[in-house]
Formats: sequence, C-alpha cells, structure tokens
Amino acid sequence: MKSLTSRLLTSVLLGILAWLALAGATPKKASLQEPDKLIILSTTDVKGKTSPCG
Amino acid sequence: MVLVDAGGFFPENDAPEYQDVASFLMDGMKLIGTDAVGAGDKELRYGYSFLKANVERTGLPVVCANLFLKKTGRPALTPYVIKTVGTVKIGMFGLMSEKVAFGPSQDSLRVDAPEATARRVIAEMKRKGATVIVLLSQLGKVDSEDLVAVVPGIDVLVVGHASSLLMKGRMIKNTVACYGGEQGQYMGRTIVTLNAARGQATGECDAFILSPEVGERSEVAKLVKAFEDGFNEKLRKIEKERAAKAAETKGQQEGPERFLGAELCMRCHQDEAQQWKTTSHAVAWQTLVDAKQENNPDCVACHVVGYRKPGGFQGATDAAKLANVQCESCHGMGTMHEAFANPHKTVTEQVCITCHQGENDSAWNWAQKRPKVLHSNMSGETLKGKKGTTGTMGKTTGSQ
Repeated sequence: MKSLTSRLLTSVLLGILAWLALAGATPKKASLQEPDKLIILSTTDVKGKTSPCG
Repeated sequence: MVLVDAGGFFPENDAPEYQDVASFLMDGMKLIGTDAVGAGDKELRYGYSFLKANVERTGLPVVCANLFLKKTGRPALTPYVIKTVGTVKIGMFGLMSEKVAFGPSQDSLRVDAPEATARRVIAEMKRKGATVIVLLSQLGKVDSEDLVAVVPGIDVLVVGHASSLLMKGRMIKNTVACYGGEQGQYMGRTIVTLNAARGQATGECDAFILSPEVGERSEVAKLVKAFEDGFNEKLRKIEKERAAKAAETKGQQEGPERFLGAELCMRCHQDEAQQWKTTSHAVAWQTLVDAKQENNPDCVACHVVGYRKPGGFQGATDAAKLANVQCESCHGMGTMHEAFANPHKTVTEQVCITCHQGENDSAWNWAQKRPKVLHSNMSGETLKGKKGTTGTMGKTTGSQ
C-alpha cells in the first residue's frame, strides 16, 4: 500500500475533480459560487499509522 | 470539497518516541489542507501541553467543543471552524467522550456533556451563518448515533473512536452517518445535495479503500519516506538498547518455560518444517524489512517468535534464530512441548486471530485461510507475490 498521507492528498485532488463534475462544470468555467453538491472526504482513528506493517 | 479527520490519529503507544509520529501526522494533515480535525483521548495521551504546542506550531485546525481547562473554564481547543465554499458555510465541530480517561492532563481538563454542548455549539454556528453542520465525533459508534438521533441540525456525522467500517453510510433521521474504519486504510466520501437555502437536501456516504490504485503525490511520498526512514533508525537504536538491557537481566526473572526457536523443532519435525517453508509465515520478517517496519514494536510482534518473552525475539540480533512466524508462534513454547503433543492438540482460531484480526488483516477468514497453511498443504499458495522462497531455516531471507 502507498503511504497514507500521500494517498490522502491524491484523494483530495480526486475530490476536487468530482466536485467539478458534479457541479456540471469544466475546470475553466467552474461555477464554484453555486455548486449544488458538497463532497466531504473523511478519515478517522488513523492511530499513528503512516504505512502498513508489511 | 471539504477534508476532515474525526480524530484518534495519535499512535496507540505511550512511549515518548511516538510523539514524533503524532507531530509528523499533524504536519502531514496541515500539508494536505485538512479543514478540521477532531480530538479525543488519544490526542491527549502525551499531555495537553504537547497537543496544544503542536496545534500552535502547525496551525492545524483541531476542534473539540466539550473540552475545557478546569482552572479558567476556557475551551482547551477551538470548539469549531466554519469554512465557506462558494455560498455554502460549513460548520465543523468536534466532541469527545466524557466516559474515558485521557492521560496525564486528566486533572487539569474537564469534559462537558456532549449532548448539551452540541445543542449550544450548533446554535452558535448557525447564528454565524453555517448551513451545513458536520460533527467529528470521538464518542464511539453507539453514543455518536444516539446523539444525532436526539440533537437536531447535524447534517453529517463522521463516526470515530469506533473501529467501525461500513462501506455504505446510513441515515439517522436527517443525519448522514459515515463509518470509515481505522488506521487510514479507508476514506469516507459523503456527498451532500444542497437545497436553495444552501443546506442539506439529501446526503449519502460510502467508504473507499486507499489502495495503490488511488495513486500518490511524489513529493508527499518522499516526505513520508524520509520521516519513516528517520523514525525507523531511531526505533532501531532504542530497540538495540532495550535488547541489550534485556540480555543483561536474562535469566533473572524468567521461569522455566521459554521459546526455543524452530531449528530445534525441525530436528524431529522435518516434514512439517519443509511444508512451513512453502508458506508466507516463513517470510513474515522480510515483509517488515521491506516496509522498514522491523523496529516498530506494533508490527514486530506478529512477525517473529515470542516477542519480548522468555527465550523469544528481543531485537534484530535475534533475527537469525527467531524471525518469522515459526512453529512456536502457533503451537506454543518449545519447553511446553509435552503439554501440546500429549494428547495432541490442534491450533485453534483463537491463536490465529491474535494477529489476523481487525485492520491488520480485515479480510482474514479461518475457514478459508487455515487450509492454506496446514502441514499437508505443499501448494505454496500463500507465498505468491512474496519476496524470498524460504524462511529463517532456509537462510534466504534478507535478514540473514
């Protein structure tokens, strides 16, 4: 598995793309003022893990 | 888009060196732009001062609405944050349990009742214009669910302190509850459909695994690797010192029962040993070495024989004799051979799940996995994709 932190960051970028897609906009014309959906990415209880044992 | 963590991110280890991990994770969450982070008893295990100093150092928005300083009555952490995205204001607050002990600062801190706190804080955030409310809960599954069932106005609940993983979230009245597991293996994705008032019309949540397919940013991966390399080296030195001390006192506190190592077993059990070499148990140590986790006590115990027990693995110098999941890992100490062999006993599921459980191996199944390591199975199927072909006794693993 990849490192947690770097995977999280990639997920953030994916989330932004998903946001744009759901808002029906392209990046250039992104209508971020009035999106009709909100995406919340969440983790919990990471317990100090930066990567799996092996 | 909003990125949150519900808390419980500090290591489950009170040893002072693990404060490095806590600090690094706070740096990492700040780096990736986390909008709000919950806090609970784990975040207080190194003391309130340590947490507070790292909050100030990193600027990470750690929130907890019901934690107060006893002396002044002031909030110990920021109760909530409000983020504006377009015309939507998202209020995010944290709650921790009043039922758990929380470490060295217990006497200087006070935890208020979650329900009353939630009602007060939600009203305050709404007065400030928040139209979507997110609770980062360290209350555990049951108390979190009970709270959103009686406190109106919470649109999204991220359930922490629960070890609960549900691939699909559930609605509790008007609240979307999200259960994202633990140890960073999964991420919750909640989609809130907004109404004309910019509040929640509908919501749904699912969890997705952070597998290699998700990809990673190279600069962040380098940062993580640099930290892990440094931390692994630090642990190696600490483990070496600890093992040396253990060697000095060896025999002074030990009873007659101890681990002996697999080489002794194979003098009589040669067929079983040959079969064992075809299993992933025989290369378990190498997987730690490859992941640079061979000095991490949280990992080592399941990859060696008798970690920190009489006759067992004390440190890296014991790798040649006691690395990998050997005979005694499943069958018990060699000095207790007669108790296991006469009359003959079989290894039970309880033995396996000391390691193959929870997030260590969430997909493990006794009925499916047991046949793969039976001494009659020479298929080698558990070794597929693993480095090395034989274990300690075969002298081909990287630790030799």
